[in-house]
Amino acid sequence: MQYLIQLLISGLAVGAIYGLIAMAFAVIYKSTGLVNFAQGEMTMIVAYVAWTISTTISGNVFVVAFGAIVAAVLLGLVIERVVMRPMLGEPVFSTVMVTIGLAVILRSSINFIWDAYPHALDLGVGRHVVRIGSIGVRTGQIAVITTLLLLIAGIWAFFRYSKFGIAMRAVAADDRTALLMGISAPRVHGFAWAASSAIAGIAGVFFAMSYDLSPAMFQLGLKAFPATILGGLDAVLGSGLGGLLIGVTENLAGGYVSSGMKEVAGFLMIIIVLMIRPFGIFGERDIERV
Amino acid sequence: MIASSQPHPSSDPPTSAREGMLEFRNVRIVYDNAIEAIRDVSIAVPAGGIVGLLGSNGAGKSTLLKAMSGILYTEEGRLENGSISFRGASVDSLAPDELVRRGIVQVPEGRRVFPALTIDENLQMGGYTRSAAEIREQREKVFGLFPRLYERRDQIAGYMSGGEQQMLAIGRALMTRPMLLALDEPSLGLAPLIIDRIYEVIAKLRDELKLTVLLVEQNAQRALDICDYAYILETGRVVLDGPPCKLSANQDVQEFYLGMSGSGRKSMREVKHYKRRKRWLS
Repeated sequence: MQYLIQLLISGLAVGAIYGLIAMAFAVIYKSTGLVNFAQGEMTMIVAYVAWTISTTISGNVFVVAFGAIVAAVLLGLVIERVVMRPMLGEPVFSTVMVTIGLAVILRSSINFIWDAYPHALDLGVGRHVVRIGSIGVRTGQIAVITTLLLLIAGIWAFFRYSKFGIAMRAVAADDRTALLMGISAPRVHGFAWAASSAIAGIAGVFFAMSYDLSPAMFQLGLKAFPATILGGLDAVLGSGLGGLLIGVTENLAGGYVSSGMKEVAGFLMIIIVLMIRPFGIFGERDIERV
Repeated sequence: MIASSQPHPSSDPPTSAREGMLEFRNVRIVYDNAIEAIRDVSIAVPAGGIVGLLGSNGAGKSTLLKAMSGILYTEEGRLENGSISFRGASVDSLAPDELVRRGIVQVPEGRRVFPALTIDENLQMGGYTRSAAEIREQREKVFGLFPRLYERRDQIAGYMSGGEQQMLAIGRALMTRPMLLALDEPSLGLAPLIIDRIYEVIAKLRDELKLTVLLVEQNAQRALDICDYAYILETGRVVLDGPPCKLSANQDVQEFYLGMSGSGRKSMREVKHYKRRKRWLS
């Protein structure tokens, strides 16, 4: 029983990281209709920036968190303005190819700007173990799960109640009609990229704190993408929960079946779920009415 | 292109004699640097009236509306020549959101409500450029005009009937607090009874809300019944314009648009007429 609970907790913790990145995918998809294949790389860059801040400026966790979020927002805005906006109105396929190109460039930039060795992002927090009965939980694990849940609630309220949130949904559905209503699609897209980059960046910092920083971190994006598909590409909240589901499934399969199953289990679940609900667990079926 | 028993309208002085709230002057619009959609069109929409813009598919009606709303660029279209002015100021290089702020809005062809948003959220998006207080005030007006929208305000727009969606699309455009409202084929795909309702509303917009309306229609009968002045567009040119009574009396308009039969036509004249007819209806 204790083993199960321990597996569940570490599954939820890693799932929360997948969930955050999955939400970052979904935010961009929901407002621009694009899948950003550079999401994992953006996550990695922000984590490296956080590490640089911690080793050069200050190791204070708040300073690092603030600096990382600012860097993430800037990264998102710059990518949107320089790379994505000129692609506005071009075929989706070309635009997605651009994000793949961007991914490769960002990935290699780690080696140019930093180096190829693993580093530890040690901010002096997150590694303490809290004991609840006989079960040990690291504070970092509690923090990442809490962050995910708070962001899920916050983003849900944002899309549901704020004018800008509703405008993002409107632009995603029909950007030309949104233009006719005076909604500036470029501004909405810029905001989506900034928000998505910030969410993914937070995930990257949490990951680096719990595990390690390395040039292979971009693979987080590949792990999180299935969570987005599972939850529904257009469902930001579903993506967050999809991340948790994949994290837990992976851990249970790894703990009870074999460690080799850990890699496979998540994808196996996706195949089964998509056969039953092709638009994801929480995704919206297209409303067709003429 | 139109032969008629009446004095030919193009012998009238050019339409620049008519002054309007919205004016297209010698407009030429080209898509993709190659396709000339509008050749040389001058149209004036005077304040407080309904101006009809009639013509068959591909005549360039929607292109003019896109130019008016500043969204030609989304389809690689460009205003090559001429100008568009609104209340005396040139507006042809303004961004779409600025045009909406100045009071120009259109209800696009096919209604295009945001399907996954509720009716209330759709209306809020119409008021995007306005303050929260203005949105509340304007929403009351729209609900007054369309009680049905109030009843269903929390429902998903995509599941409404075509007529209700058209009303929502008009309501959403009204949320921008426009001075000039353009409607692109509001009767398209709707049942005759529903079209009656829509046209009652359009008349109300002019008479009660004092709006200026630019009405684009293929359904000439309906449009001529309501508008104060009309232009007929054919392959990118204005071929005929005038008050509706004058257009309705024109023999070609009667036959091609109003569906009255041109009885008593014979011989060569009929053949030529047939050719023109084919052009018109193609």
